Amino acid sequence: MKRDKIIIANRGEIAIRIMRACRQLGLDYVVVYTEEDRHSGHVRAATVEKGKGAAFKIANYKDPNEIFAVADHCGATAVHPGYGFFSEDFRFARRAAARNRPITFIGPRWEVIRDLGSKINTKRIAKALKIPVIPGSDEPIYSELEAESLAEDLFQKQREDGVKRPSILVKASAGGGGMGIEEVTHLDVFRQVYRRIQNYAKRQFGDEGVLIEQCMKDYHHLEVQLLCSRHKEVVHFGTRNCTIQSTGRQKRVEVAPGFDPDYVAYPFDAQKVLDQIVEYSIRLAKEVEYDNVGTWEWIVTRDGKPYLLEVNTRIQVENEISACISRISRYKGPVNLIKEQIRTALGEKLRYSQKHVSFEGTSIELRIVAEDVKRGFAPWCGTITRFEFRQEPWLRVYSHVPQDEPYEIPTEYDPNLALAIVWGKDTEEAKTRAKEFLLNTNIEGKDNLGRPIVTNLQYLYRKVDDILRFV
Amino acid sequence: MDQKRLLDSGKYITELAQRINYLADIKGGLEWGSLQELLDRVQNLRSKLFDLKEDELFVELEQIERRLDYLEDRVVQDLSPIEIVNIVRSPQRFTLQDILENCYDSYTELGGEGECNIDPAVVVARATITRRVKNRLYYHQVMVIGHEKGYGEEFRNGGCAKPWGNEKALRYMKVAEIEGIPIHSYIFTPGAYPIEDYPGAAQQIARNLFRMSRLKVPIVAFISEGGSGGAEAIGLADIRLMASRGYYSVISPEGAAAIEGRIKEGGKVPRELVEHCAAQLKMTAEDNLKLKTIDRIIEEPPLGARRGDYQFFRRLRYEMVRATDEVVLQTKSFRTFRSYALKRQSQEKEEDFSDEFDIHIKWSLTDSEKKRLLELRSKKYRAMGKGYKELRQTLQSRLSEAVESLKQNYYDIRYGLLRQHSRQVQKLIEEVSSEGSVFLKTVTEPVRVAYDFVFPKPKSENGLNQQDILRRSIFMQEWEQYISPLANEDKTVSCPNAEKYGCKDLWVPDLYGEFSGVCPSCGHHFPLEYQWYLQNLFDPGSVREFNKHIVSANPLKFQGFDEKLKKAIERTGRGSAIITFDASVFDIKIVVAMLYSDFRSGTVGSAEGEKFIRACDRARTTRRPFLAYIHTTGGIRIHEGTLGVIQMPRCTLVVREYIDSGGLYIVVYDNNSYAGPVASFLGCSPYQVGIRSSRIGFAGPRVIRETTGADVPPDYHSAKNALKRGHIQGIWDRREFRKNLFEALMTMGGPHLYYK
Repeated sequence: MKRDKIIIANRGEIAIRIMRACRQLGLDYVVVYTEEDRHSGHVRAATVEKGKGAAFKIANYKDPNEIFAVADHCGATAVHPGYGFFSEDFRFARRAAARNRPITFIGPRWEVIRDLGSKINTKRIAKALKIPVIPGSDEPIYSELEAESLAEDLFQKQREDGVKRPSILVKASAGGGGMGIEEVTHLDVFRQVYRRIQNYAKRQFGDEGVLIEQCMKDYHHLEVQLLCSRHKEVVHFGTRNCTIQSTGRQKRVEVAPGFDPDYVAYPFDAQKVLDQIVEYSIRLAKEVEYDNVGTWEWIVTRDGKPYLLEVNTRIQVENEISACISRISRYKGPVNLIKEQIRTALGEKLRYSQKHVSFEGTSIELRIVAEDVKRGFAPWCGTITRFEFRQEPWLRVYSHVPQDEPYEIPTEYDPNLALAIVWGKDTEEAKTRAKEFLLNTNIEGKDNLGRPIVTNLQYLYRKVDDILRFV
Repeated sequence: MDQKRLLDSGKYITELAQRINYLADIKGGLEWGSLQELLDRVQNLRSKLFDLKEDELFVELEQIERRLDYLEDRVVQDLSPIEIVNIVRSPQRFTLQDILENCYDSYTELGGEGECNIDPAVVVARATITRRVKNRLYYHQVMVIGHEKGYGEEFRNGGCAKPWGNEKALRYMKVAEIEGIPIHSYIFTPGAYPIEDYPGAAQQIARNLFRMSRLKVPIVAFISEGGSGGAEAIGLADIRLMASRGYYSVISPEGAAAIEGRIKEGGKVPRELVEHCAAQLKMTAEDNLKLKTIDRIIEEPPLGARRGDYQFFRRLRYEMVRATDEVVLQTKSFRTFRSYALKRQSQEKEEDFSDEFDIHIKWSLTDSEKKRLLELRSKKYRAMGKGYKELRQTLQSRLSEAVESLKQNYYDIRYGLLRQHSRQVQKLIEEVSSEGSVFLKTVTEPVRVAYDFVFPKPKSENGLNQQDILRRSIFMQEWEQYISPLANEDKTVSCPNAEKYGCKDLWVPDLYGEFSGVCPSCGHHFPLEYQWYLQNLFDPGSVREFNKHIVSANPLKFQGFDEKLKKAIERTGRGSAIITFDASVFDIKIVVAMLYSDFRSGTVGSAEGEKFIRACDRARTTRRPFLAYIHTTGGIRIHEGTLGVIQMPRCTLVVREYIDSGGLYIVVYDNNSYAGPVASFLGCSPYQVGIRSSRIGFAGPRVIRETTGADVPPDYHSAKNALKRGHIQGIWDRREFRKNLFEALMTMGGPHLYYK
């Protein structure tokens, strides 16, 4: 492992975190950057540590040919995709493994990425393993009669469950990211919507398959963090609650653990639900022989019913709050999941098991974004002239925004500015500290018309009060 | 000096000049036999006509004529194939208009006249032709259809019919059928005009052939210039006559030379090569008679008939009437025909013929005679164009052949008798059930149960068990059962549409594996080898090839072709450019014929035609749908000459019989499909589909440019444009080929199709 060299095929703060993990593991690395990102923190950090030769300029982060060309040029033996970009691209992973000069893809096997990359396939496997999933079809439907009878069943079931305003979702099965989805609240209009979506799907994706499922409302979004090795070892690092999201379903505040019965009272046995979703997640991971870090996303309704939503076969932005509350008896201090990810991807064994993992306290992640919350979370563009916050022992901030010089936010990418991870011995303390951090953070800047910067700091401050509650 | 010369020496001089020019036409220039000098002398005479003394003039004229007679004799003595082609191309050769004037008594041009015409290259006329029986005249009505290249050369387009010209021909064939009058078709064309304007050259010829194969009136064709597909468009006849100095060929000698010599566009084709090819193509009347692609030769004067050869026209009239008689008589009782046939034989021995007939024969047919006419036509074409080789079969394949013939009996009984019965029962049930009333249902229900018991429906399989769900990835594409060897390379390629649609470069293993050769962003189809389709299109293990023992040969002994054939056989391990096999698609059993590119560019010759016909017949006897998957076809194989061309009407006829008997014939074009096959047995299918990025048409861009002088846009032959023209019915994505094929079989079939 020591002789491995990692090419970091990503940008921004995750690139920085991967670098740090490499450093701790004593691994060599190189980074890539595009013209727009030449002033970005990850490039600076890499050149400062490894010299000019450690950063390669490419035209596009999403072009596999360039990544592999750089990898071959500098003799990299593994590629870390970070999140986004290639992280869930099974073709990239497959190519990495199948090319004449194979390199290790730091992530699960490509077959796993492919098979769990589809919600519908995940649902199919989960159903077979008796893991609860959102009621509805687990295969694309092509026949109108079949669709209608299923829709009828779904409405019937919701009425039986006492759902006040039952509704179902009709989705294009080949779609994703919110495209080609419509809600149906009355069976009468179902056929019309079904045909519309079917036509849309056929036009847009060339496949007229349609999915139908119950429309879930009033739920919490929970996650289970797993780490598996190439040697069939599985451990979990607890749960997270990511319910606070922007209108575009972008997470803004995340908390670990997923529920805290000591902090709020739930109308159901919260600990039991957490244990359940962890158990289900592990069941699925074992079945598909999962072999790297992964996140199992769950929906938990107000009455405490969990449903598996999907599996993210990558390291997530919010991984560190789980790491923050986890302790491995052999290690000192918090866990570094990226480090563990690289280690297992390169074939190492875990060297610990679930019984060595314990949890301590609550951790909150705040995503500081230059966006206008009042105007539908519209991104803001401009130059940041000042970015400061107070250093605390309970605080970690990841940002590619330099603190010593002005930084222009590249319009090509998300206007994410910083991630703040706060830890407290309990939820109350974590909450207080999060607020304290937000109050002591100062961001200044101007857009090209001279108007001052807009951030979501106030929004975050308000939302911290809502964590872990059904409101 | 006879009287004529004295009176009209000016006209005589003109005639001499014409004869000299005619020789020059045949010999390809005035260099041969010092024709130039002779012509100069004639011209000299003309200019000094009134200055010369009569004696001097006549002496000179006689000298010139003697010399000319001598030269003409010499030309006749060794007339080479290219010289015959030159005779046919000479402007002095007779044309259809001459025939209409001289062989028919009266005629009315239909569908336009002269230049004022939908297509002046095609002339259609309702005409009467007379028969003399013991000094009494009888009149016959016929439909004359043919090409015209003279009498207005500037608008006749050289006798090249445009698609709508052939459509006009077809229209009046249908009229003839309704009126019950025979068709006389005269072929004077170097080829069809290769344009794709609606409905496209190929498509229209295919329609003509499809229709003619079952046209219920006698058709007699006469070939003077038979240029491949253009000739076939009106040439599927019950009797095919050919002028003794005509040519009938798969391609012009120049075209063949350009291909054989791999001459680049615009390059000079050596004359020797053209002459060589003309000889190799076996295009003369004698050659074609030997190849049995024509039935009889009509003797012309030794140097070919010209416009004023009235004796020839008399002969032609007689032969046309006789040939029509023969077609008609064949459908009638045996005895009458025999007595007539004997008479014909004795007459043929005579040097000088009389154009008198012994009896009058009416040319209209009764229904049973029409049936017999079609049977005879079918038999005739099935017996033609057999220039293939049959290998000795192994014991095993001979055994399987025996099994096949047993099977045939079985199918005859099953579908011939039982099927009829089953249909009737089902029809009864449908009729009764459609009344829809509740109480009737209780009556029909027991009948239905009994029916289902006697004719059980196939049972669907039960659901998969849990292990299968977990192990079976829905992402494993069905085409990943066989991965193209093209995928074994670690490199990237660019999509040709990258500039237009911004497609990313494609990693080759992805492209030829998971993407099945399709660019995921723009859908461009990269070509794949035929094996991919063989493995991925049909149910695994269901492909059973047959008639492997029929292999391509070199029936014309075309020089150098034996080596090429040997190479193709070695390279592909196969004996012909077609693979015929039984297969199934989602358990629907079908018969497939597949033309593929590796073997002589998928060109069709005798072996391919024969295998196609046998596959089609097999589909008919086993009552199965018939799929023609065209991986690539480059047209008719030129090395087999008219034996190749004849596969066009031949196979179309068999396809027609299959479709008429209720079969479902689906054609799928991939990569490149051009020329003869598309203009006949493929293009005649009611269901033709193109795979994306395929090209479909009659002639390639080069031939179009050389014929029409105009460039065509790069997407001229694209599947999309073929769809716009209405040539094909749909465009399929390769990735959905299998699914679409299944759906097509289900939806286009219907309950009474064979496979149900």
